Amino acid sequence: MTDRRETWLFLLPGLALLVLGFVLPITRMLVLSVQGPDGFTTDQFARFFQDGFYPSILWRTVYLSAIITAVCAVIGFPLSYIMARSGPRVRLWLVIMVILPLMTSVVVRTFGWMVLLGRNGLIASTLRDFDLVGRSFQLMHTETAILLGMVQVLLPFMVLSLLGVIVRLDPRLEEAARTMGCSFLQTMRMVVLPLAAPGLLAGSILVFTLSASSFVTPALLGGPRIEVLAGSIYKNVTQTLDWNFAAAQAVILFAGIALLLVPYLRLGRRAHG
Amino acid sequence: MVRAVPGWLRVGAWVFVALAAVFMLAPLVVVMGVSVSASQFIAFPPNGFSFRWYERALGSPAYLNAFWLSLNLAVLVTISASLLGGAAAIGLSRGGRSGGAVETFFLSPLVLPSIIFAIGLLMLWSAVFGPTSFQALWLAHTVIAIPYVIRTTLAVLAERDPFLEEAARTMGATRLKRLWFVTLPQCRPGLLAGAFFAFNISFDEAVLSLFLRNPNLTTLPVQIYGQLEFSPDPTVAAVSTLMILITIALMLILERMLGLTRFASG
Amino acid sequence: MTATARLALTATLCAFAAPALAQEITINSFGGAYEEAHRKCVIDPFTAETGAKVNIVTAYSADAFAQLRAQKDAPQYDVIHFSGGQEIVGASEGLLLPVTEEMVPSLADLYDFAKAGVANGEGPAYQIAAVGLVVAADKVPSEPTKWADLMKPEYAEHLVLTNITNGYGMIGLLMLNQIAGGSGDDIQPGLDAVSQLLDAGAVVVSTSPEIQAEFAQNDAWIAPYASDYAFTLKKAGLDVKFIQGEEGTPASFITANLVAGRDNVELASKFIDKSLSPDAQACFSEALRYTPTNSKTVLTDEVAADVVYGADAAKGLMRFDPRVIEANRSAWTEAFAKTIAR
Repeated sequence: MTDRRETWLFLLPGLALLVLGFVLPITRMLVLSVQGPDGFTTDQFARFFQDGFYPSILWRTVYLSAIITAVCAVIGFPLSYIMARSGPRVRLWLVIMVILPLMTSVVVRTFGWMVLLGRNGLIASTLRDFDLVGRSFQLMHTETAILLGMVQVLLPFMVLSLLGVIVRLDPRLEEAARTMGCSFLQTMRMVVLPLAAPGLLAGSILVFTLSASSFVTPALLGGPRIEVLAGSIYKNVTQTLDWNFAAAQAVILFAGIALLLVPYLRLGRRAHG
Repeated sequence: MVRAVPGWLRVGAWVFVALAAVFMLAPLVVVMGVSVSASQFIAFPPNGFSFRWYERALGSPAYLNAFWLSLNLAVLVTISASLLGGAAAIGLSRGGRSGGAVETFFLSPLVLPSIIFAIGLLMLWSAVFGPTSFQALWLAHTVIAIPYVIRTTLAVLAERDPFLEEAARTMGATRLKRLWFVTLPQCRPGLLAGAFFAFNISFDEAVLSLFLRNPNLTTLPVQIYGQLEFSPDPTVAAVSTLMILITIALMLILERMLGLTRFASG
Repeated sequence: MTATARLALTATLCAFAAPALAQEITINSFGGAYEEAHRKCVIDPFTAETGAKVNIVTAYSADAFAQLRAQKDAPQYDVIHFSGGQEIVGASEGLLLPVTEEMVPSLADLYDFAKAGVANGEGPAYQIAAVGLVVAADKVPSEPTKWADLMKPEYAEHLVLTNITNGYGMIGLLMLNQIAGGSGDDIQPGLDAVSQLLDAGAVVVSTSPEIQAEFAQNDAWIAPYASDYAFTLKKAGLDVKFIQGEEGTPASFITANLVAGRDNVELASKFIDKSLSPDAQACFSEALRYTPTNSKTVLTDEVAADVVYGADAAKGLMRFDPRVIEANRSAWTEAFAKTIAR
């Protein structure tokens, strides 16, 4: 057996499952995007771009996902480093802290945020006590609310991706850098960060794609006035029953994210592949 | 001599961890508070104190059945996704030029909103196999869990020492032995993180489970969702609190039995 | 012979050829207190009478319809219940089987408006939810009496509107549209009214639990919504009142539909017949305050005081033409989304 054949042997079961269990079913749905009453049509795509409404939803989806990913990275990197370099007991409790939000049902967890961010919530009423804001002020139904709620559930994906990589870094590398005169922050920037890059890449890809394709948290925290594309797709599938347009939106979302991800993945492969 | 980590950074680190903890846990504290409320509607701060929502959740066969179904499913998905995803990651890490395209392909289930996959799969499954079944759900969850395993495993494999395997080869180790003694230990932290994600994704997944269900196939998130319209009482908060407690207990037991953190550090 | 008629014939033939092949049927219900009432009023008596098992899937109308459409090749429901007008689309796509008085004798006793869609292959309405103003009686300074009061500036910051992706939200918008001078051909006045209310501080939500949260948590005073949910909130201990606006009370129908392509039509028809029976309807009214659709239903005084009851009263309920709603749903939903978008 050649090495090449062995590589394919590893890939094959997963590939087969993906083709039969994913590609076939979604094709069935996605072809609807170009099917009209009289055969092939691009009407659904024209409808998407007919005015600024849907493109603005797409744009919001992309930039919110980018901000969520950036915030997760900024919080996740130091947190994973602290976890990696602390004792097993502290690390365990920190892991528990990070993953707990994942273990509660999304609707219930979102209710927790509704209480904190709503009109009579902790934050709004404190600000109102100081006369800083009016009665109608609330953080609920804002992009900030989506950001907070999404970072809370997606942080574990960033942290655990990073942790797996950082714990395997040899602390002696850092010591060596320090011995040679680097400050702590310089060591971080020049030794730890570059070596943790694959973990950061893995984490940000998971976080970015998950935030672009999820809709329950954005729908509940952002409210109907701040739509994201996945929410609009869900609405078209279940409420307006317009599956052709839903499929077209899915194709656009898919293509948009893929376009953004391919260069990112290539970057990762060049640096570390 | 190595200069010590500056004092302000140590303090800063603890402040940072404390803030992160508040951010991550504050909404959960609200949920726990609601779960012991005496009033019938979901409100915070809780009015009065009562355990009756726990009695209700634990006394309801619907919740218990849904819990066991979700647990069974999540365990099976963890196994299947780790096997398939882990193997694919090993293959990808060895792959040559074509690896990039294949890797992107493996990530595609993450990119598409699950509602599209759910409806597509339901259409195809009905046409080919008829009524939905546990297998349909298992397949669907495995498909969406595999990308996590691949991503986390690839991340740790990117940092591996390729000469280890080469050395094993020169010393005459067979393919299987190299896989078992060299490659798998290299994958371990990533595979573990991926397996954990797979479990979680399956356990928390609501959209695929919502559309693929039948009378005997209601997972816990779907059961919770189904109660909200006409009985939005604190039972759902009690169920979530129980889940939080079970998670903590499970993590502590795993730590004691397996040394989870040591395991994660490879 | 039309496609639906042919389907009906085949199904009837099948029903005779294989009498009660499987003594069980599968239905959807709406969870929680609704499902409890459903069991008590319809399912348990049905099982007691026929010995058949009823499998329940908790699925809200929109999700159930998406499932029904995707599972066209192998439907799992025998009887499917809708509260958002989905039966119109379902019938036109051939997913449903028309019912007749031979199959469902109780149809004869139904008010005419409750079986108006039967001729088109839609299922009959077995319950009506009235849409009006849900008011926090303990908080609102002065109670509103008519729909036009929604526009009063003093309520605006305490007003909760519902997205029209929700069936009751759709009816609420059409009512606002009507008082603002719009019609089925022109909902712009309604959209303008919504936009004015939002500017004044009203919030808009999408689901029932969010409405509860607004009342319980965020000092909401008024929400245009349905009588069944007002009663659910009241039972949960919130001090809310259901007020019928002077301009009229629009109705939302909950229908029971036979699914095409299943093999126990006979049993399923019996189930629908049971849902339409006076006993089941009285029981449902008592549990969740729905308006009965069977003219023979007798309610106790206590329940009758809370619901729109009796032939004349029920006839007084308004109904926005469901066919107009279906024809425009997609366009209206998009226009509404554009109106409320920040």
